[in-house]
Amino acid sequence: MASQAQETFQIPDHVPPELVMNVGITESPEFLADPYAFFKKLSLEYPPIFYSVGSHGGSWHLLKHADAFRMLRDAEYFSNEGGTPFPRDPADPFKFIPIEIDPPDHRKYRAILDPVFSPQGIQTLENTIRKLANDLIDEVIDKGECEFTTAYGRPLPVSIFLDLMGLPQDMRDTFVDWAVGLLHSTTREGMATAFTQIVAYIKQAIAEKTANPDDKVISRIVQGQIDGRPMSEKESFGFVLFLFIAGLDTVFATMNNMWLWLAENPARRKEIISRSNDMNAITEEMLRMWAVTFSGRSLRKDLELRGVKMKAGDKVMSVLPSCNYDAEVFADPLTVDFDRTRKPILSFAGGVHSCMGAHLARLEIRIGLEEWLKRIPDFAVKPGTKIEYRPGGVVGPEYLPLVW
Amino acid sequence: MPQVTYIEHDGAQQAIDVPEGENVMRGALYNGVEGIVGECGGGLACATCHCYVDEAWVDRLEAPSEAELQMLESAASEVKPNSRLSCQIVMNETLDGLVVDLPERQY
Repeated sequence: MASQAQETFQIPDHVPPELVMNVGITESPEFLADPYAFFKKLSLEYPPIFYSVGSHGGSWHLLKHADAFRMLRDAEYFSNEGGTPFPRDPADPFKFIPIEIDPPDHRKYRAILDPVFSPQGIQTLENTIRKLANDLIDEVIDKGECEFTTAYGRPLPVSIFLDLMGLPQDMRDTFVDWAVGLLHSTTREGMATAFTQIVAYIKQAIAEKTANPDDKVISRIVQGQIDGRPMSEKESFGFVLFLFIAGLDTVFATMNNMWLWLAENPARRKEIISRSNDMNAITEEMLRMWAVTFSGRSLRKDLELRGVKMKAGDKVMSVLPSCNYDAEVFADPLTVDFDRTRKPILSFAGGVHSCMGAHLARLEIRIGLEEWLKRIPDFAVKPGTKIEYRPGGVVGPEYLPLVW
Repeated sequence: MPQVTYIEHDGAQQAIDVPEGENVMRGALYNGVEGIVGECGGGLACATCHCYVDEAWVDRLEAPSEAELQMLESAASEVKPNSRLSCQIVMNETLDGLVVDLPERQY
């Protein structure tokens, strides 16, 4: 796979050959066999900065917490333009908002949704999330088993997303299918079909909320003002579509990773159940262990970092899960330790583009854990299951059959 | 080195040396002060390093920027006239002895 990729993407001349290591993040067989073992190996055995070519092209990979923090915060050197590897029709271009907008304009878009996603905003959601979690548990608890990803990991964030957006709950299963199709299709046709359906639905939802506004997210976006002018239709579309992509798969994958670990570690599960007052710290540590994504930028200017000379136009990617295992920041980083001193984790990236949904995600995961463990404290992976991962920008097991 | 006293919501106090040029959010983060989160690392994107500056010090700080005031509105705990985002308070010798109270919650 690596040699095939190299034929397609030329390695720039300024990249020293000794720093080219085609590790195949999200696609090599070694990665897919056990992604988190792979992230640990990277942080322990690889140089802090190296160059790797994959099917989306070549980029510098950053493994150190401090370097990722710099990349995420230094908009003078690192740009988000074109940083999102997602196919778009060149004849009908649009930006993913706000991730592809650089400061200072970025803040103008974020401000539109701050009242919803800020620490203050999400506090109002706690009871809603708890009820949705329990409704989902009701559906499976008496069966003694479930396929976790479709029974809980997927529908919980989808339901909350629909609620926030102002979309009807009866769209839940349709949205679940779309999300699976768009983000986890094994064929291009499957992905294209899902994308077409999502685009049509979002356009129609935007039209409807323009005609009949409420106080939910889609209405707030279409009514948003940028420098005193109304949001364009294309901007509204790029904003809503980005929230769809960012909000559904990430919490899903995170929960799948966490529940796999919980299923395999009964003693730690008991420990969590016995420490119900420490759920924030527990959630935070589990988020550190299972960061599910990466963060990419383009260099605006030449930059030398740790002696590595990078050039303007180079792509740079922080391997956030490995950065969370940096021993210079987190002592004994591979141990799940609910009592460690709090330091900034990079699971939600950082800097101005730090995840807008971070507080919501924390709340969803904490409540998801609390309600599940209250009602299904003992569970295991169904015997005979082979845990599998698929290539993709968000890392988590594809299926997770549980029994109790 | 200038010193900052952080007072947690439960009253626990910690006096910490924070180097000149470093901000009050990071001074807390790197020294185990629980009451400050600092999610976005000082990017004015999260409102989780909210603090209340002791009245005696409010006027001795540079005034907050528009962006900080806007972000402060999103804080999880009550926003008061002496509320600041601690990532925007950069230490220098004249701030030696600064006292900040921390809110009940950051998110």
